Amino acid sequence: MNNVNLFPLYLSFRVAFTATLISFLFGLPVAYFLSRGRGKAVDFVDTLTNLPVVLPPTVLGYYLLVLLGRQSPIGAFLENNFDIRIVFTPTGAIIASTVVSIPYLIKASKTAFLEINEDYLNAARLLGRGELNIFITVVMPIAWRGIVAGLTMSFVRALGDFGTTLMVSGSIPNKTMTMPIAIYDALQAGNKEMANLLVLIMTSIAIIVLFTISQLERKMKKG
Amino acid sequence: MLEVSLKKTLGKFTLQSSFTADKGVLGILGASGCGKSMTLKCISGLQTPDEGSIRLNGALLFSSESKVNIPSRERNIGYVFQNYALFPHLTVKQNIAYGMKHFEKSQRAQKVTHMIEKMQLKGLEHHYPSQLSGGQQQRTALARTLITEPDLLFLDEPFSALDSHIKYLLEKELMKIIKENFNGIVLLVTHNIEEAYRICDQIMIMDDGQNLQLGPKEDIISKPINLTTARITGCKNILDVSILEEHKDYLLLKSNALIFKAANNQIPLSDSMLAGIRAHHLRLYSEKSHKDNVFDCEIMEKIEGVFSTTIIVNCGGNVLQLEIAKASCPHISESNNNKIKLHIPMKHVFLMENEL
Repeated sequence: MNNVNLFPLYLSFRVAFTATLISFLFGLPVAYFLSRGRGKAVDFVDTLTNLPVVLPPTVLGYYLLVLLGRQSPIGAFLENNFDIRIVFTPTGAIIASTVVSIPYLIKASKTAFLEINEDYLNAARLLGRGELNIFITVVMPIAWRGIVAGLTMSFVRALGDFGTTLMVSGSIPNKTMTMPIAIYDALQAGNKEMANLLVLIMTSIAIIVLFTISQLERKMKKG
Repeated sequence: MLEVSLKKTLGKFTLQSSFTADKGVLGILGASGCGKSMTLKCISGLQTPDEGSIRLNGALLFSSESKVNIPSRERNIGYVFQNYALFPHLTVKQNIAYGMKHFEKSQRAQKVTHMIEKMQLKGLEHHYPSQLSGGQQQRTALARTLITEPDLLFLDEPFSALDSHIKYLLEKELMKIIKENFNGIVLLVTHNIEEAYRICDQIMIMDDGQNLQLGPKEDIISKPINLTTARITGCKNILDVSILEEHKDYLLLKSNALIFKAANNQIPLSDSMLAGIRAHHLRLYSEKSHKDNVFDCEIMEKIEGVFSTTIIVNCGGNVLQLEIAKASCPHISESNNNKIKLHIPMKHVFLMENEL
């Protein structure tokens, strides 16, 4: 097993967990806003959140480099004031994974929120509860299965990202080389043992996740 | 006392409503989409009117002029939704306790237990809404609302989600429970005139976003003010009439070839008016009781119902519909004679302004 380096496995999980957490914190309010709002502005945001699904990963990576690279205003600001560098760092990998995976969480949560009858919320309002309280006591308990399905989808998507992550954080061994990149790298270097192991791990995770989601969806239909 | 005056435009639809309601049950009657539910939503703060003011027992809930808009959660209005809107993830007990945040913790459990007993929900405390029958869901929704001691109670089509064979029983039971446990203003939305008449003290007729007539239910039925209210309250016979003679206690009216008398109710008269008479008020002639207002008619169609027969007749060029209880007139169903004598009771004819 000398040829096997488990750093990519560890990094990938770290990146995917962090990206999913960020998606949850930012994506959930966005999804709620999209499910309850109406109008052109809402449609525009809706389109924007779906863009990462259809754009080629290299295009997304390019945008992120333009936006956050060392020459960009944001990149320069972060580097000069906080000594944070994004390009060619694990932070960059996290940002890239978040961008590609957040649409899946938003979409699944939005669908779950849309299924909630407005009268539940109205009833809660008339029973004296505030909006945040209603979100926690009514919306989340009713929509949780859809949200969990979205979380798992976005977790696997973050775990498996190749193109965008490669563009933003590169493939520095033991620093920014995530699992999908390591598989490519191992194959190129003729390290079959490593490639096989990582492929096996990725496949198992994908199967477990898909199975979990189908179980949740079945229960959701039952109510 | 509830005082409402509001205007709200949504696309092409404009709701313009102003009325007051006092203790007792006020029924808001109208076809679907006429603005009944929207009126309730505006009063409860779930929708914001464009203009107007809403005042409840002297307190201002909304005013476009002085920019007051109390949020729904502070209006203390009880609202029973059409499909009850029970929280599916909470048990009966948890649903009922949901609105009790402002009560002291020590009081809550006792109040909930008490309410569950009053609403005949004992034994169902730990059931989820999906495990309840329609009537039990309705009582749970009512309990959840009444426990917060609201100033105003809204019932939005409370019986439309129930099977028709249990509707009547539940209606009686529910209104009994409400009368026993709630002493305030009740607003009930319905499209069913029978239901409104059975339950309500006052009725308000709405059509296309406007409230047309409000009054004691007897007045609404006996004296509709215009064609729309007559139609909404289920009047089948409406005739274009001209007034031939005006006497102290009756008017002589003419519609096509039919000349008949109507009681003079002292309403202002004009050249072109409408006369309405309800199908169940028209009578078949019997020698003993009727002398006046009797006409020869030709039967055009007979529709047999379960308990009554609807007969459509041509009476001096006017098509009239009469409804006769089968028990009182069994021979009419069997007879092949297509001529009958029709009696129009003078006191049941009402006159309305012709809007055209």
